[in-house]
Amino acid sequence: MSIDKELREELHQVADSMHFPPDLYGRVRQSYQHYMNEKRGKSPMKKRMLAGIVAVAILIPSAAFAASYLADDIFGSSTDIEQHGVSQEEYQAIEGMLQAAKGKLTEDEFKEYMELTKQIVQLKLKITDENGVKHEEKLTKEEQQQFEQLASKLAPYFEKINGTAKP
Amino acid sequence: MNDKELLPWLEKATLGDESAFQLVYQATHQDVYRTVAFLVYNKQDIEDIVNEVYTRMWRSFHTYDPNRPFRYWLHGITVRQVQDWKRKAWRRIRLFERNRQMTCEQFEWTDKAVLQSEMQHELFSLVRQLSYKLRVVVILRYFHDYALEEIADMLQIPVGTVKSRHHLALKELRKRFEMTGGDAYVH
Repeated sequence: MSIDKELREELHQVADSMHFPPDLYGRVRQSYQHYMNEKRGKSPMKKRMLAGIVAVAILIPSAAFAASYLADDIFGSSTDIEQHGVSQEEYQAIEGMLQAAKGKLTEDEFKEYMELTKQIVQLKLKITDENGVKHEEKLTKEEQQQFEQLASKLAPYFEKINGTAKP
Repeated sequence: MNDKELLPWLEKATLGDESAFQLVYQATHQDVYRTVAFLVYNKQDIEDIVNEVYTRMWRSFHTYDPNRPFRYWLHGITVRQVQDWKRKAWRRIRLFERNRQMTCEQFEWTDKAVLQSEMQHELFSLVRQLSYKLRVVVILRYFHDYALEEIADMLQIPVGTVKSRHHLALKELRKRFEMTGGDAYVH
């Protein structure tokens, strides 16, 4: 037998008698899954970072919104009110007044105050034209009564805010 | 399973189909493991390299030319991975540690069965004593039956170098074989 043939035979015999570690499959499989995740760009770390960025992108503008005008709660926005002849400066003045109220009233009081103000403003807007001129005759009798009620309810709050309330 | 049957599964596996991956592994792991085990003797190292071969397989599957035999491509990856590992190992291990490793390497091979077969297969035990450069040529030539030109391509060295290594390896084997008393296979 030539050495070539003998080499071939022996190498194949030895190869056939080799044992393959069974746990190697699990290891190769793990590497495979890892590679696939990497390839899809869906590694858990990347996912989390993306979620973080999205969350920040949403939170920043909404935080800015939350710190916006109290007056917007009542009028909608400054552009709405401009249609009734209220200028930006006047709007700022109203805002200042509302901020002062927030500082001086308790939380519950302020809630009530905002609610009443909202209602009275609705009525006021109804009778005010685009030049800021009032036409009280536009109100019905019921609405006039409502207006007076609101005004009387609001009076103690105004006193408190303006510091004229008795201790 | 032949190359043509394996190819669609390979494609699926590289796209993330896990059952296809399993099939590819079953069809190829013995071949890969044997090739590595003929070239590297430490059991842990063999497993590391086999694992790396598969990672390389997914990563560079796009470079595979389907007109050529898949096994040829696979053996190319395997041999290069072994060589990469040897380079890294050389940098990693300090010289005295390496000397220590080399002395116990002989007893640390895959398993007892191989050691036993080494006793039964005199010629094979001589192949194991060849230097890596000569051994890799012998394995590719006589275990995988590649032509010397193919081996040159795989190892990225000139054909002349492969020829001289092949010649040298056989000469070594013949010489040692004579010394150990095996006289029948000298020619």
